[in-house]
Formats: sequence, structure tokens, C-alpha cells
Amino acid sequence: MAQTDADQDQLMRLLMKVSQQDRRAFQELYEHIAARMFGLCLRLAGQRELAEEALQDAFIQIWHSAGEYHSDRGAPLSWMMTIARYRTLDLIRARKARQTVNDEDLNELDDGREGPLEFSLRESGAEKLTGCLDELSDVQRDSILLSYYRGFTHEELAQALSSPIGTVKSWIRRGLMALKRCLEQ
Amino acid sequence: MKKTPERIEALAAEYVLGSLRGAARRRFEQWMMESAQVRREVWFWEEKLGALAEDVPENQPPASVWKNIERRLWGAQEQPAQAEVRGIGRWFWPSWSVLATAAVLVLAVVMVQQPRPTGEQLSGAIVQANLEDPLWLVSESGAENLLKLRSVAASAAEAGKDYELWVVPENGQPLSLGVIPAGGVHQVRLTDEAREALSRSRTLAISLEPRGGSPTGAPTGPILHVTKLYSL
Repeated sequence: MAQTDADQDQLMRLLMKVSQQDRRAFQELYEHIAARMFGLCLRLAGQRELAEEALQDAFIQIWHSAGEYHSDRGAPLSWMMTIARYRTLDLIRARKARQTVNDEDLNELDDGREGPLEFSLRESGAEKLTGCLDELSDVQRDSILLSYYRGFTHEELAQALSSPIGTVKSWIRRGLMALKRCLEQ
Repeated sequence: MKKTPERIEALAAEYVLGSLRGAARRRFEQWMMESAQVRREVWFWEEKLGALAEDVPENQPPASVWKNIERRLWGAQEQPAQAEVRGIGRWFWPSWSVLATAAVLVLAVVMVQQPRPTGEQLSGAIVQANLEDPLWLVSESGAENLLKLRSVAASAAEAGKDYELWVVPENGQPLSLGVIPAGGVHQVRLTDEAREALSRSRTLAISLEPRGGSPTGAPTGPILHVTKLYSL
């Protein structure tokens, strides 16, 4: 589902109109990307109610900050998806902060989808990052992908991967730096 | 903590990934505000890691999400915006009645729907002098706070323009119900505020606005139609 240049051009045009408070363009933008964005929110949140709230918040933020978009921030779609992802993570955190942290947190996240990270996502992730994820060790790659797709905290990762928190932290840190070296080549 | 390139690099990646949390995350956001270099590093990761999002399967959100977005953005018109409009001498309330009389576009109102015993339901039609058919039929479904508009003889607004529907309250500024299409059936969910204003004044209006609707939250273009709704 790679974004063609034409798609991105269209999103750029819509975003410009939205920055001029064009409601019709805003609705068109929503119709264009809502399903894709909701898929990501749902993947992260693991539950519909929170994902729906995050999607709403994200679009409200897009309406207000469309004028702040510029091409240094990446392609328009990636910018908007980032907004949705941060918002979902914020809501997950806010909700967790209200609960006492216990084992159930992880159980809630583990909602019957195969294993903590589906094979298909692991594969596609590797392809998208132009093979650079392949250069990481399995645990480095899995910690990064679980953080990205599922919003796992260090504690949750430690539990899911049966390793001490300090170890998990260093997998992520080193994994990310190795990824950067590779992406910069 | 000093902003060394190594720290910026490591923290930006963890910030975007989401594994940087709590006070450390807030501290880093402060760095982003202070430094373009930090922001660039964040954008690098946002774009690179953003590629991971592309293969997550799509999932169609329920229609209620879009309705809620509309309601939160425009459902109940914010008071400050309206105050501004007043200040710069655009439309203000007395113009509505003056214009409605001057326009002579509105001729009659017909009753179209039986009320349900549970509560009164308003209905009516927006008509124009030279047309046999009404432009739009309007009916309210009380239970869900929905207002339904069926377009009958309405024709599309001129290029670059849209029709916008308003509740005209007994007192105060009109409340936007959003842009309405000139074809098919269109449903608007009324906020409690709009519902209450409508059940008291029973008056709707349609104005011609720039494409996408009034940019100010108050009507800016000519009022084309004003109609009273009735309950049986």
C-alpha cells in the first residue's frame, strides 16, 4: 500500500485547503485517510473505544494545526499518522496512569492476536525500512516493533520478552542507533 | 542535561518510538521547542518509523467518529468567534429579520410529518416562489436529535460557494448546523444547545457561504431562506 506521488500531492492540496479552514476539504481528507489512521490507532490501542477517541482527537488537531505542516516534516500522510499515533499513546498512558499497574495491563493488551507481534508486521516492517531492520538482532528488532505497533512500555516489554528492564532498554537504544547508521548509508 | 549530538540522537529516536516517557519525555519536548536541530532529528525518525504504519490493515471507523469531530469543532458555535464577528461589523442578529423580509424568497411552509406520541417533532419545507416543488424538506427525529433534510428541487450552489444551515434562536447569534448538499438526504445531529434553541424558535435559515462554510462561525453571505418549522 505504498503511497504514490499523486496521492501525496492530493493530500498536500487538501491539507493546504484545511489550513484555510475549508470544511469540505477537511471532510474529504477524513474520508481519504480515516480508515488507514483508524487501523493504526486500533493496532496500538487494542480496543475500539480508545482508538475512536484518538482518531477524533487527531483530526481535531489536524484541523487546528494544518498550517504548521511543512515538507521538512515528511510526507503529509506520515505527518498526520504521527499525530494519530502520539495521541493514541497519550490516551493509553493516561488510562494506565489511572489504574494500578499490575499484570492485567499486559493481559489487556494481549487481546488474542497471535503472539505479541504478528509475523506479517515483522516482515513488512523490515521491507519498509529498506532492509535495515534485518541488520538488528531479533530481540532488538522485536523490542522496537513492539514499542512502535503496540505502545509497550519498558516494563511490558521486559515481561513480554522475559528479560530485565535494563536489558530491554539497551536493546531499544542500541537497536535504534544501529537502525539510524543503516538508514543514513 | 547538556544537548550533546549523541544525546539528541538517542532521545529523539526514543521519543518518536514512544519509549521515552514521563518527565524525560516532557524535558525532551522542551528541547524540541528550543532547538531546530532537535526538531529535525525528531522529524527524521517520524518519517522513517512512519513507514511502519503503512502496512497496518485499514479499518473503517464508525460514522459516529466523523459526527463527533464535526460536533466538537462546529457543533456549538464558540462564543469568542461570534464576539469577534460582531466587532468587525459583519452579520449580526438584527440583519436576519431585515434580510429575510427583503429577500422575499420564502413563501410558505408545509407540514410533512406526523409527530410521535413521545415528543413533538418539528418538520417543514424550504420553498421558493417560482418553484412548484420545495427546495428541501426538513424533519426532525426527536429520539436521536437528528435533523433530516431531503433535497427536492434545490440546485447546487454557484461555483466556490456552499449552502450553510443555521438555527436562528429567539435571541443571540445563529448556530451553525454545517454545510448542506444540494442533492440527496442529509442528516445533521443537533447538539443539545441547538436542539433547545430550535424547539423554542422553530426557525431555520440557509445562507450562501464560501466553499466549506462560513470561515468565521457566523453567517457571512446573503441569507437565502428562512423557514419556520411546525409540529402537528
